[in-house]
Parts: sequence; C-alpha cells; structure tokens
Amino acid sequence: MNWFLKGIRMGVRTEKDYHHETKWPSRLKRAQEGEVKCPTDAIGEEWRPERCIFCRACEPLFSPTGETLTPKVERSDRTFRRSFYLYPLDAGSCGACNLELRLISSPQYDMTRFGIFFTNTPKHADALVIMGNLGKRMEEVIRRAYDVMPSPKLVILLGTCAISGGVTGIPPDIRGDVIIPGCPPTPASILDALIRAKGGEIP
Amino acid sequence: MRIIGDLGPYCLTSEGLREGPCAREVEEHRDLGYGSFNFLYGPSAGGLLESVGFEIATYGESIERIGHVPYKGRQIKITQLPVEEALIRVERINGAFAASHSISFLQAVEKAFEAEVPYEVTVSRMAQLELERIRNNLFVIQRVLESASFLVPSYLLLQQVEEVNRTIARSCGHRYFFGANYPGRVECEHEVPSLKIGDVEKILENRIFIDRLQGNGVIKEDNSIGPAARASGFRYDARLDSDLFVYRDFDLKVPTQDHGDAFSRILVRLEEIKESLRILQELRVKPHTFPMRVRDGEGIGRVESPSGDLAYLVRIRNGRIERAFLLAPSSVNMRLFLRSMPGNIFTDFPFNWESFGIWISELEVDLK
Ligand code: SF4
Ligand code: SF4
Repeated sequence: MNWFLKGIRMGVRTEKDYHHETKWPSRLKRAQEGEVKCPTDAIGEEWRPERCIFCRACEPLFSPTGETLTPKVERSDRTFRRSFYLYPLDAGSCGACNLELRLISSPQYDMTRFGIFFTNTPKHADALVIMGNLGKRMEEVIRRAYDVMPSPKLVILLGTCAISGGVTGIPPDIRGDVIIPGCPPTPASILDALIRAKGGEIP
Repeated sequence: MRIIGDLGPYCLTSEGLREGPCAREVEEHRDLGYGSFNFLYGPSAGGLLESVGFEIATYGESIERIGHVPYKGRQIKITQLPVEEALIRVERINGAFAASHSISFLQAVEKAFEAEVPYEVTVSRMAQLELERIRNNLFVIQRVLESASFLVPSYLLLQQVEEVNRTIARSCGHRYFFGANYPGRVECEHEVPSLKIGDVEKILENRIFIDRLQGNGVIKEDNSIGPAARASGFRYDARLDSDLFVYRDFDLKVPTQDHGDAFSRILVRLEEIKESLRILQELRVKPHTFPMRVRDGEGIGRVESPSGDLAYLVRIRNGRIERAFLLAPSSVNMRLFLRSMPGNIFTDFPFNWESFGIWISELEVDLK
C-alpha cells in the first residue's frame, strides 16, 4: 500500500497535550531537612535546576515531582511566530541531548504544527541550539555558526552541560537567551521552551 | 578466540587481556597525485547528529581516502573519585549507551571487589541492555531512512523510538537509564514497549530503499564486533561469551547475514529488535539491593552494547578509582567504517555512516 494512504489509515498520533510525567528530570522539591552533598552545587538557598544533573544523590531529602521543568526564556521574538528555524550545534555532548532534540519531530510531539523546523545551515537559522560541554576544538565552530546567522537571532542552551558544565566539563562561552535545564531535557520541556521563544503560548 | 579491541595498553580478546595493542593491518597511504583534492566534511554539517569531521580525498565522485578529524572530544576525569561519583560521569560518556557503559563499569568494579551479583540484578541489567538495544537499533534504522529521504517511514520509526524512551522512563525513572544502576543496587521495574515491528519490516521491503543500501560500504573483517561483524557472517556477540550474564537460560538467537554491506547491517539490527523483545518479555525485573564489601583490586566488565562489545578495566585502591580504561564500540566501528568507504561515491556516505551506529561522544572521550 502506498505510504500516503497508509499514513491516513494510521490516524493521528500527535498528542494535543504532549506533557508527560517523567521522574528524572522533573522539578525537585525538598521533602526532608538535612545537608545534601550535591556534585554540581545545585542546592544553595534553593534548588537551581540549571546546575542540576538529576543524579538522584539528594534523594530522599529532595524528591522529583514529575512535573515538566520550566525553561527560562529571557528573550523571545515574535518575528518567529509563524516559522522558527533551528540550527542544532553539538559542542561536546554525551549524545542524549541530541537525541531528545530530534524527538520533538516525532509524531507524538510534531514540532512542525507549531511552526518549528530544523535547518542544515546556520545561514537559514533563527536560533542556534547549543548542547554539551565545550569540546576541544569547538570554540571557533560555535563562533562561526553564530556569526553567519542573520539577525534577529536567538541562542538556546540545551541541557545542563551547555548551561553550567555539569560533571563532565565546562560550558561553551556564550550567553543564552533561552535556557532549557535537564540532563537531558525532555522533549516536552524543549518544545515548551521553543514555543515560548517564538512568542507563542504553551498548549 | 577473537580479537575485540584495545583496552588501554592491552588488547582485549574473548579469552582475556593480552599485553600490547591488538595487531592490525597497516593502512597503506598511496599518493593520489594529479587531479585529486582533499576536503573537510563537517564538523557541524547538516545531517550529522553529532559534531565530527572527515577529511576526504577524491578525484571528483568516488571517495579514495577518508580520515576522521576529532572536534567535540571531552576529557572526563574519574580517577581518584569514589565509585558512585565516577559512575555519574561514566553514565554521561555516551547517553545513548548509558546502560551499557554503567553496567560494564559496575561489573568491572564488582570483579575488583570480588562481589557476588544476585540473579535478580543480572536479569534487571539484561532487561536494560535489551531495551537500550531496541531503542538504538530503531534509531539507526530511522537515521538511515532519513538520510535516504524516506520521510514518512522515518517518522514512524521516531514514534517507536519515543515509545521506547517512555518505556525506559517508566521502568527506570529516566529515559536514558541515568541513576538506574548503583554499586549494590538496581532501580528498574518490569516494562515492555508496545512496538509495531511489522510496519518496520514492510518499510525494509521497499525496493528503492534496498537498492540504495545493497552493496554499499562492504566490510568483512575478522577483527570486527557487533552488528557490523554479524552482518558479514561472524557470529560475534559478547552475550554469547560473557559469564557475567545468563543469556544461555533464555536461548539467545544471534542473527547473521553474509554480505557485510549497509543493508545487511540494517537487517541484522531489525532481527535483533525482535529477539531483544522476546527476551525482554521473558525476564522478570524488579528493584533489588545486595551487599558489597569495598576492597582493593582490579576487574574487567564487558557487555554487548547496541554496536558491539563495550568493556571497562578498572583498578580500585582505598575505595577510589586508581585507573580506568574504556573500550568503546564506536572506536572499532569507526575503523571499520573508514575502511569500508573508499571506492564508494559521496552520496553513499550518509547511509553507510548511519548503518554503523557510531557515537562520537564515546569515541572521542579522553577518560582520565
Ligand atoms: S539531583 Fe543530583 S545534581 Fe540535582 S540537586 Fe540532587 S544531588 Fe544535586
Ligand atoms: S546535559 Fe546531560 S544529557 Fe545533555 S549532553 Fe550533558 S550529560 Fe548529556
């Protein structure tokens, strides 16, 4: 049978509300008093998701709520309301951030319904999505990708390695307009962040 | 005995370590001369999932010579750390193979501690490894379909990858098994993904797809591992020769093919998905703890990751890692990929590359 007909027969697989309960990573809340030895110094006065690698070492003093982590959107741009092209750039990741980013194009999440697409060249990109630590020879690659992007443009830091370094290295030296915590961030948090970055509303 | 690959200063074989690196053929570097040129593909080129560079020498269409140029390499230090702290770094060497890395690392630690691992823990680990294999093999097939521009089937595969990730999250609390395994403890519950393998099989019957992959990237080498070995008729699989698992109790079938091309690698991976699902259904998994006494010692752990043998050699002194070496399957597969490429044309590059299931993260890591 041809693929078009088969596709129609399969029906809609896309989920209206794509948020799912996942324990790790999710928002953590304090469950008991006590001193925590956190490997990334994510617990100070309060819990800082952008430093957390969700390693569970603070259990049971902290416990996962299962709620999707909220990304920090410091700058959004309504110019990208209808079409928002992303250029993913792996600075030195473990690969899981790359995979989760790919999965927002799976039928369950279907990023294209929100006008979000991937592009193969930074010249056509509205946002640079950086993941991972700063790899040995990546500094120049990041700078060149950023420089050739047309304005207006956004920088999105995906995952703890890119935001604060985590336990495997240092973060790339670039300021993020949008910060998506998680190790790796779930497709639901990634999609939430992207929709807000383009000036939209989360369903 | 089979040669598996270099593990630090040693050569790991199916019968243990040998001093010195594994012997292998010296690559001959023929000068290409007039009319040839070199170019760099990557490091951040559209279509590649991770950053990686290739230096390619060509006269125009067919690839004459190809070399790997590292870019994204990280240095990850685990020596001098206690086992738990080393483990959270080991999990993050290659997120897609995190179960394989952490289980193999823990097996090495357990050998060093001379610990007895209960049957329940072994079974839980097998379930994780099979789930990881299913996810990865689906993803490899998806990547090949995407690079061949078969978009509808490619999305269908992505849907199944997502289904497996959700299953892993329900089972172990995290979509990539981070935090599922500890020294003396395993966290996962019994979960089996509901997949539509029949749909995947139908896709792979498509004539145009087959034509693109058949005869592409042929490699038949004795010194190979994983699906690349099995696609060229070598029945190599760590699950057959490791005494750290109980696959024999489950009558494991290891599929092989003969042609050693990209298509054979895909067929092997598809058959493996079915076999892994069957085993998964028979395993009974629940969280379990067991006592472990810390002592000085050294051990090797080895698992069959989705792309072949993955091993750690770990030495522990005073409860801390004194030295650790990793044999990443992607390093063996990269050598095979580079050797399979000359003589193929540039448009064959993406399918052939994806068919090996190589992860640059673990290949370029400098583990200290
Ligand atoms: S999960 Fe790990 S990294 Fe996050 S706050 Fe707890 S101890 Fe720190
Ligand atoms: S943030 Fe976590 S998942 Fe992402 S690259 Fe770093 S270690 Fe991997």
